[in-house]
Formats: sequence, structure tokens, C-alpha cells
Amino acid sequence: MKVALIGAGGFIGNRIVEQLHMGTNHQVVPIVRKPYRLALPARFDVEWRLGDALDPNSLATALTGCDAAIHAALGDPRQIEAMPAALCAAAAASGVKRLVYLSTASVHGQAPAGGTNESSPLHTAHSMDYNNAKVRAEQGFFHECSKRQITGFALRPGVVYGPRSRWITDLAQDLRLGQAWLFNGGAGICNSIYVDSLGGAAINALTAPAGAAGPYLVGDNETVTWRDFYHAISDGLGLDSSTIRTVDRLPAFKRSTFEKIQRAVASPGIQGLLPLIPGALKRTTKQLIAATQLPPRPNAWSLPPRPAPRITEELALLQQCTWKFPHENAVERIGYQPRVSFKEAIVRSLAWFAFAEGRA
Amino acid sequence: MNTALNPSPTQHRVAPPVTSTAPVSLILIGCGAVSRLFYQPAILELIGRHEVRLAAVVDPLENARATLREKFPSVQSVNDLRQVEAPAGSLAIVASPPRFHAAHCQAALDRGWHVLCEKPMATTASDCATVTRAAEAAGRVLAVGLYKRFFPSSEYLHGLCQGGVLGRLLSFDLQEGGPFVWPAASPSFFVKSETPGGVLLDIGVHVLDLLLWWLGDPASFDYADDAMGGLETNALLKLHYANGAKGKMHLSRDWATKQRYSFEFERGSVEWTVNQANAITVKLKGLAALQGTLVDSLAVPAYTNPQCFIAQIQNVVAAIRGEAEVRVNGHDGERVTRLIEKCYANRRLLSQPWLEPAEAARALQLAQRP
Repeated sequence: MKVALIGAGGFIGNRIVEQLHMGTNHQVVPIVRKPYRLALPARFDVEWRLGDALDPNSLATALTGCDAAIHAALGDPRQIEAMPAALCAAAAASGVKRLVYLSTASVHGQAPAGGTNESSPLHTAHSMDYNNAKVRAEQGFFHECSKRQITGFALRPGVVYGPRSRWITDLAQDLRLGQAWLFNGGAGICNSIYVDSLGGAAINALTAPAGAAGPYLVGDNETVTWRDFYHAISDGLGLDSSTIRTVDRLPAFKRSTFEKIQRAVASPGIQGLLPLIPGALKRTTKQLIAATQLPPRPNAWSLPPRPAPRITEELALLQQCTWKFPHENAVERIGYQPRVSFKEAIVRSLAWFAFAEGRA
Repeated sequence: MNTALNPSPTQHRVAPPVTSTAPVSLILIGCGAVSRLFYQPAILELIGRHEVRLAAVVDPLENARATLREKFPSVQSVNDLRQVEAPAGSLAIVASPPRFHAAHCQAALDRGWHVLCEKPMATTASDCATVTRAAEAAGRVLAVGLYKRFFPSSEYLHGLCQGGVLGRLLSFDLQEGGPFVWPAASPSFFVKSETPGGVLLDIGVHVLDLLLWWLGDPASFDYADDAMGGLETNALLKLHYANGAKGKMHLSRDWATKQRYSFEFERGSVEWTVNQANAITVKLKGLAALQGTLVDSLAVPAYTNPQCFIAQIQNVVAAIRGEAEVRVNGHDGERVTRLIEKCYANRRLLSQPWLEPAEAARALQLAQRP
């Protein structure tokens, strides 16, 4: 099968290109938007193409001659919502009959209710724009697939880690800087999935029965807590896990006025009006807003701040998760099997990290 | 390229130096990202100082030339070198894609122009040698665009590596590169038939040129990269020197490296952040690290990175006028290209223990294909 990989320059897309090219008989066609994103796919003698995941015409050209496509392109919330329509239109125009869309378990929220599975209803009242965008994107994907008679699969991974993953590199940095933290002793469930397992699920979906089309939650076999995850990385790096901060209370994460303005400007309605506003007025407004965001002037009589836990809204929500997403449906219907154990996955992730840091 | 075109050594002649102080006429061959981001501002500065004038821009793509013509509206804009009207003694800056360098250098020398060729000087050492011989035969200046040699910090490291203040060099660890973001207009960087090397033939040219300048040729080396039928995005080179020094170089287009060169000497260590033209960190044994900006005798900060790029062109202009030696000449360009060729000829597949065992075996097969 000739398989297009849209978003081949990213962490997940790259790994699936590797898996397809080195581990299957499929012919992979990496697709990236800009030439500079070819660095990783161009390590192989493969037929790569340029294509814009937001432009149906460009994407249709890039998909020509392919039997199926895996969509792993990234974007901001607005782009995320727009991509499925472009993908399905391009697939229809180029004769691609099967699509695998990388969605996310976050369509259920980072801390879903117990019992949540693929049939749980989705909503767009999440506090994180990313989640809402992914919900709309996935719904749009299935709607378009149905309309255009395309066999569509959506994969919903949780925390995807592995070589080149921010979950490895950012955590390593936080651990070294004394900024890593755990809420409730790290008892929250991580819903981890090693990138190879996600790639395996995507590859399985290429040949799964058409009747199995639909959304699938996928994850590691083990129920990995955040404590397990942090300690595995910390131990693997030879760091002292006892320095990981304990957080008993999480901040409220209210949006600042600046963030509210940013959100409003990013909305489709305002974006549609922007071309009508004179450039000089836009520039002045931007400058005024930027002026309010200047950092405070340094005070010569202050000492460097002590390391503080780096608490993001996403991580705060994730660490409150008490539910391990089931992946039995994926096992049963598309033959999903996690490729390696959590322990082995961490070993491989850290082997890459040692190389990336020049320690290998 | 056709080596039969080269004159014999007996035909070598030396052109009289250009004693005029009139601005040197420039021809910019290739209007891609390097011309737009580096040569354009440098030439503008030198035009303002009446040191050069831009006679022509050459590129087969009209839209590439158009971007430069916005800044230089009165220059000739042509799609072929043969259409350029510029007198002998002008300076051609060859900034076209690397596979055209040798041919464009030769064509420029045939017109009686001096040449500043962007790195890599050519894609093969034999092409470098041919161009160098042609320049010598024509009595023209030939310089190679390895401008990091002009960094005051590079010169400082050169001095330290020659032995002395900090004693003998024991080891070094060079890490350079990060996700590839060069705003190339076309994907030719990743087409093996057009660009025969990856990260080693790109930023590796600068790094290896500096190493050759600082330390000379290695006694032995071990080279590995991650090309698996295509072009490498990570390269790892281990080097040993006759004086016992050893070192490691890791280049990447894949992941953000530390962007740092570290050197261990007998009496201390030195760290240099990549592209910091005038700053360095020195740690004398037993004392804390000291980081500072290099300054001249009047405590004026030494040249910054862009100023060094300008200084490189000034050096070539001074050489044309007979006032200076070219700092990086064709022999230097050939030397580094030869080392890169040796690396590729002896390449091993980089160990990637994060791959599935079956994938690793397959990767080895792919890497060994001719």
C-alpha cells in the first residue's frame, strides 16, 4: 500500500515514517509543508512531497497515487479545526479511500470521569482551547469521511512519549532545574503511550476492516501513574527523585486580559474582519498591547529567584486524572497491541535523549 | 568539471594588485537565502562606505532576483552569468547552490574576475583543486566563504590551541546544530542528486574548517551518521591527533544541541557558544569560570557575528588591492572538502538503540546501499 504521511517532520509523524519504511512492506510518502521540514524524512531514499495540510488543492496534489493517508500534522487550535475538511477534500480529489487521523484522548478532557470510553459523548466546554479544537476537528473528520465515503479512523492517544518527545525533554529539564512537581503524591494516572505503539495502531488501521472505522483510544498496557513516569525518567537520568516537589494545591488558571484578547483575535469572526482594518491601526494596537506586557524592570536589590514548580494548566489537569482509558476496542477491532513495555519504552526514550544531549 | 581546461603551472601569472581606491565592482551569483540574509546587508554596508559597488545580480529565478533588486534597484539583473557586463578585476561572489559552485567559479575566473565562493567551495575536493589551480593560473584572488575564521573568539581559540597559556590541548567536545530552519526556497538541500551531503556538508564545513585551522589534520578519525539511503541529519565524528589530543563533534539538523564547543587544556578549560563571535568563557584550573567579551586595546568590543561577515568581504577586497592575504583560500576550501569526503568514504551507521531490533537491522541494510 502506498501511504502518505502528512506532518512527517514532527515527532510522531517522523516515527511512523520510520516504522512504515523500516518495518513494513508499505511504501511511505512523507509530506511536509515547508522544505526545511524534510530533514528527518530525507534520511531515507523515499519519495517525499510538499503539501499544505490547510490547502486542499496543495494536499490533493501531494496525495496523488496514494492508497491511504495518516494525518499527523500539528497546528494551533484554529488550524487544527480547519485541517480535517482540507484533508478529506484532498483525499476525495486524489482518490485516497482510507484516512487515519491522529486525534487525542484530550477530546474527553485531561481528567475524564471514570468509565469514559470511545462511546462517551464529547463536548466543547473544556477549559483548554486545544481540547475543544480537537473535538470539533474529530467530529468534522468523521462528518467529512461519511459525506465523501472515505473509511476514516481516528486514534485518541493520551500522553505520547518517546524519542524527540517533549514529555521526555521538558521533564528532564524540569527535574534538573528543580521545577518538577507532583500533585497528590503523583497518584494521578498518566495515560501514557509510547510513540511506537501509537505508530503501530496507525499502521494497523491501514489494513483493518472497513467496518471497524471509527475512533479508538490507545495507550500503554500498564497503568502508569505520574509518579511512575517522573521517577522512571528521574532514575534513568541518575537524578535524586526526592527533589521532585510536592504540590498540594493547584492554581486556578484564570485567563489574563491579554490572553482573552488573544483568544478573541484568533476567533474566526475577528480573523475575517482583520483585512478590513487599516494596517497602521493594527500595528498601533499591537504595539499598545505589547507595551502592557513588558516584563518588570530588573531590581538590582533582588536575588535570583529560587526554582519554583513549573505548573501549566495542561499538566495540572493531567495530574488530576483518576481514570485509565481503556483500549480494548482498539485491540479487538484493529488488532492494536502496545509494542513494548513501559519499562523498555523509557529505556529507549532515554537512550535517544542521551544521544541528543551528546552523552552517548 | 573539465580539468582539461586548466592551464599548466607554467602559465601561472600574477595579476598586478588593484591600487585604485575606487569601489570594487561586485557580481552576486545566486540570490537565495544566503544572499538575502547575509550578503545583502553586508554589501549595503560596504556600499555606504564606498568600498564596493554592486554591478549585477545573477539567478535563473526572476523572483529570487526581485527580492534583492528592491535593495539594489539600479544593478543589472540577469538570469545567466554570461549576460553580466562587468570588467576584469571585479569580484564575483558565488552564492549559488553548492553543486554549481565549481562551474560558476570557473566561469567567473574565465571572465577575469576575482572570486569569493560560499562554502562548501565545491562538492568534491578535486573540483576545489581544479578551481584553485585555475585561480592561480589566472592570477586572481580566490577566497572561500568560511567567515567564522574572522570571529575574534575563533582567533582566540586558535591561539590557545597552538599551546601556551593553558598548556597542551587534551580533549574537546563540539556540539552544534538544531532543527533545520534555513529558509531555503526549494527542497534541493534534501535532494541527494543535487546536494550530495547532509549536515556534515552544511554546518560541518565551518566546524571542520575551524578544527583544521586550530589543530591541523587528525591522525585518525571515526565517523558515523544517520543517513539510511538519504542524507544525514545527525553526524558524529571522533578525532585523534598525533599530539595525543582527542575530541568529539556532534552535528544535528534534528534536535537542539547545546550549541557549545568545550576544550580541556592542561591548565584550564574553555567554552565557546556557537556563533558568539566575540565572547568566550575561560576557566583556569581551580578557579571559577570567567565569561567575557573580547575587546581591543582601547577596550572596544571586538567584532560581532555580522561584522565578521562584512570583514570577510573586506579581506577579499584588500587582497584584490594587494593590501592583504586572503584569510581563507582555495587550498583551505579543498582541505576541508577532502576531510569531509574521507568521512563519507568511511562512514558507519550511527547507533540508534531506540529503534526496534528489526528496524535497526533494516537501517543497516539501507545505509549500506550504494
